[in-house]
Order: sequence, then C-alpha cells, then structure tokens
Amino acid sequence: MPRTIVRALHSYAFTIAGIAIGVAGLVALGAMSERIVRFIEGGDHFVLGQISVAGRGMGMGAGFTAGGLLPATTIRAIAEVPGVAAVQPQVMLPLNPSTSQFMTLTQELVLGVDLSVPTPNRHYRTLPVRAGRFLREGDQRVAVAGAAFAASRGLEVGSRITLEGEAYEVVGVLERMLTAPDRFVIVPIADARRQWVAKDPLLRTVLASGAAALRAADLNTGAAVGWREGEDPDALARRIRERVPGVNAQIPSELSSLLRSSTAFFSSLVVGIGALGFAIGGLSVANTIAAAVFERLRDFGIKRALGATDAQLGREVLAEALGVTLSGGVVGVAVALALGVSIDGWAGRSGQQLFLFSPRLLVGALVFSVLLGAAAAVYATLRVVRLSPAEAIRRGA
Amino acid sequence: MLRAEGLVKTYRAPDGGPIPVLKGIDLKVAAGELVVILGASGSGKSTLLNLLGLLEDPDAGGVWFGGERVNVLGRSARSRARGRFVGFVFQSFLLLPSLTALENVLLAARYAGRAGPTTRQRALALLDELGVLERRDHYPPQISGGEQQRVAFCRAVLNDPPLLLADEPTGNLDDANARVILESLRARARAGAAVVVVGHRPEAAEGASAVFRLQNGALA
Ligand SMILES: Nc1ncnc2c1ncn2[C@@H]1O[C@H](COP(=O)(O)OP(=O)(O)O)[C@@H](O)[C@H]1O
Ligand SMILES: [Mg+2]
Repeated sequence: MPRTIVRALHSYAFTIAGIAIGVAGLVALGAMSERIVRFIEGGDHFVLGQISVAGRGMGMGAGFTAGGLLPATTIRAIAEVPGVAAVQPQVMLPLNPSTSQFMTLTQELVLGVDLSVPTPNRHYRTLPVRAGRFLREGDQRVAVAGAAFAASRGLEVGSRITLEGEAYEVVGVLERMLTAPDRFVIVPIADARRQWVAKDPLLRTVLASGAAALRAADLNTGAAVGWREGEDPDALARRIRERVPGVNAQIPSELSSLLRSSTAFFSSLVVGIGALGFAIGGLSVANTIAAAVFERLRDFGIKRALGATDAQLGREVLAEALGVTLSGGVVGVAVALALGVSIDGWAGRSGQQLFLFSPRLLVGALVFSVLLGAAAAVYATLRVVRLSPAEAIRRGA
Repeated sequence: MLRAEGLVKTYRAPDGGPIPVLKGIDLKVAAGELVVILGASGSGKSTLLNLLGLLEDPDAGGVWFGGERVNVLGRSARSRARGRFVGFVFQSFLLLPSLTALENVLLAARYAGRAGPTTRQRALALLDELGVLERRDHYPPQISGGEQQRVAFCRAVLNDPPLLLADEPTGNLDDANARVILESLRARARAGAAVVVVGHRPEAAEGASAVFRLQNGALA
C-alpha cells in the first residue's frame, strides 16, 4: 500500500503543488481581510456597548471622547438622568499629539479610568488580561498595556515606562483583541489627569490663573455611560442631551454607523482582498484540476474503450480531485500559516498583526477549494466524454 | 455475433473538403470466425474497426452486436456494450503508463464490475499463458513492445468478450512476438469468439475464415 501512495503522490505532485499555491494565496489574502474585519467589528461592538459622552466644544481629548471638559457637576447630572446605571469618568490622551486624528482608531492612547466605578460598557465588562492583573481602585503610577502597545515596546509585567516624565510600573498586559484597546495604555484616572496637565500648556495657564474654579475631579475628557437593563441606549443618549446642558452624548447606533461609514474604505478593501483571494485561489485550483484531466485525454479514451461509462469516469475523476484538492488545500493552508506567522513575527516587533487565521476562514477555504476542484473535475470530464473515444485517443497521443 | 450494414464515414480535411473513407461497408462475423481485412495504409482500416467497436460514430449505417443494434444507443449504454462485448488490441498497445502490467489487465474488469479475487487469478493465469507473468509489476515504459502487446492482449480477453477487434496488432512487433499474438487471436476464435483482424501484411490472413480487402472505401 505505501508504495501506491508514494506513487500517487509522485504523479500528482505538480497538481497538488498547483493547488497548494492557489489555496495559500486564498488563505493569506483571506486572513488579511479577516484581520481588518475583526478590527472594524471590535470597534463597533465597543461603541454599541456604552454611551460615550464628552464636553461640548473642542478640547484636547482624543478618541471617542474628544471634546471639551466634562466637569464633576456634569458627571453627577448625567448620573441622575433616569435610565443611567453608571457613569465612569475617563481621560483619553493621545500619546503622541502630532499623530493626525485621521487614524484615530489606531492611535496610541493613554486611557485614564475612574476605578471607583465599574466599567459600564456592556460588551467589555472587563478587558481580557493576558499576564498580570487589571488596575484596582487605589492603584497609583501603575499601567496596564494593550497587546500591541506592549509588543512594540517590549513591555512585560514588571517593566517600567515613562509617561510625561513620570515612571509607571506595568502590572498587566492585555490579550490581543485586534481592535482599539490593543494600542491603549491604561492608568488610574488621577495619573492621567496629571499627565494631561503636564502636557497641555493652555490647561496649566487656566488652572494657574484661577479663572475657572477647577478641581482635579473636573478634569475629564469624557465619560462612559451604562444604561439600566431594558433601557434603549439611543433614547437614553437623547435624554442625556436634553437634560444635561453642555454635553455631547453620542447616540450608540449613530456612532456605529458613523464608524462604519468612516471604515467603509476598509470594508470595501476587505471585500476586494477577499474576492481577489477567492478569484486567484479558485481559478488556480480549477485550472489545475481541469488541466490534470485534459492532460490524460488518452487515458480517458482507453478507459472508455474498455467500457467505462460517463458516471464511472466521473466518479474516478471526482475521487482523485477530492484527494488532490484536499491534500493541496492542507499544504496550502500550512504554507499560508507559516508565511503569516513569520510575517507577523516580524511585524509584531512594532506591535502590528497583519493576519488573522480564523477557523471559519481555514474551513471555508478548504471547502471552497474542494467544491471548486469537484466542479472543475465534473466540467472537464463532461468536456472529455463529449469526444468519441477514438478522438480522445488520437488527440491525447 | 457482429453485423455491420452500410457503414459510411467521411472526414473533413483542414480546408473543409470531404475525405470519404468508408462508402458503405457491410460485414458479418459469426462466433468462432476469424475475419481478416487487409488494406494499404490510409485505406480506412482503423476507421472501420473504430466504427465496429463503437469508438466512433458512423455518418450512416448500423452496427449490431448479437442482434442488438448498438450504434444508436446512448453514450453510456454504448460504453457498457463495449465493456460487455468487445476486446480491443491496438497497434500502439494503448496501455496506461501509470499502471503496472497487472493493473492494466485488471482495468478491463473494473468497469464491467467484475473486479475480485477470481478475476485477479484469471489475469495472472493469462499473463502466464502469454509469457509475461514476471512482468506483472512492471510499468509499460519499462517493458518491450512485444511484452506490452502481450499484456494488452490479456487485457482484451480478460472479460472473455464474444468479439475481439485487433487493429494491426503486429504492426510494431518483431516476427516472434507477431507469431505469438496472431496465434493467440486464432486461439480465441477457436474458443468461440468472433475475431476481426485488420492489417497490411498477408501473414495475418493465415488460418482466417474469410479475408477481405479494403479499397476505395469498400470491402472486396
Ligand atoms: N480524425 C480524422 N480526421 C481527418 N482525417 C482522418 C481522421 N482519421 C483518419 N483520417 C483519414 O482517413 C483515412 C483513413 O485513415 P485510417 O482509418 O487511419 O487508415 P488505416 O488505418 O487504413 O491506415 C486516411 O486518409 C486518414 O488521413
Ligand atoms: Mg490504422
């Protein structure tokens, strides 16, 4: 038996290689689009899990809470709106202010959170910690790093980082979520407020002049608002707008569609890359199988002379196509995985991940290539049996 | 066993002009008969044999196997009729290069649904009878032309078909191998098969029940 297998592998080596290349291309391109899909979906999931509120007007906050100051009185007013379950004051600061707002989703951010309030986001009650722990109430000068943030700086639990001239100990590293928090460094809100003051000359001037009676608790760039069970988040966001002056409450579904339209380019890129992958991979698989059939025109003529019916030949070709596309598919998936893992190993040094080999992609690619291989086999067989056996033998000679 | 009436076949030249090859062939071969058809190269011998064996469709006329008109059957029914009634021996052997000698012989049984241990025993016995048993695990490119044709003969007779069609079976063989193949064909006729051999060398006619000449698209 092993001898027959060795022989089969030998005679099908080129066909299997051809299919492997097609499937590898399909899987690699598919994994890139899966990566982008996960990123967009992650952001969408996040914005639909909370109502993001910022002070009205321009400020130096960033991300979802860009806007003016949200003082403590306003926070309290929001908490009193019926339907509100919790309000968590936050400070979001771009780590590198020169970064354009254009790529705000992938920007590195310092996120200061008020740990006395549980995280209100319904879809992210806790952020998944890969190593160490998340922040606790009472923490000072400690940080939890997002996966990409940590990877790009080689941070682990116990590492130290400097933010606005102050040293922080990394107490936790998050799991890779393939969405915005990957590029966050999360600190207690008091620490974030100090960084903000250190960073913003205008704010320092205002504080020093005493023109406004600002206290530390007033220094919030925004707040995450959670709703009570059964409450409609969009309606609640509108209610907050009506009842609390001077705030900009994002309506979750509107923010979601805003996010979707701002990522529309990426979404079409995803569709394009995916379609390209399927076209290239699919054509390569179909072409390889059909060529393998046409190459053996003479054999088919001989088999039909020996009495093989269309159905018998079809079954033979299908069985071979199945074996060949499956083994080619598995090799192709392995090649794509090896390629993706090594590219990501290199890209990971700057915190990037380019590929996501999701199970649905791998299974889908294998099923797709097997189906396509089978279709090509059936098509080629139908073409071949339309010739008379004599003609097939003549042409295949 | 085999009957052909009014077989006509015209090919098209590349310029579209007609090449009339067979102009109305009638032929009857009974069980146990060995019919030899001689003709110059290009006279249409292979074409005639292809029509008789349902490897190609005539433009007009009919082919009967044991009383059943078979050339009008559907594609798969014609395939089954070939598998049940006909054994072919070709000038160029037409063994599958990816299969061993034994596997090539057994291929004939596969499509007739007769593969099994008895068939395998019969295949080995036939290879032994033709003197190529020790070549059973060799691939066609590894053995001589004479040996290939002996293997091809075993394949042709494995299912014990009532009709054997041989197209210049000795055309590529030396004299010794040619004698073995021709004698084996005669033996099949003696055993009750209807055998048609076409060739251009008169030796083939030895021991024939009838000898025809194919000339200008007609048998004489
Ligand atoms: N497929 C074909 N297309 C066109 N002409 C053909 C074809 N097959 C055979 N012929 C022509 O038909 C004639 C008879 O061919 P064939 O039956 O092979 O002759 P033979 O076997 O007696 O040498 C030849 O002139 C040949 O060129
Ligand atoms: Mg010929």
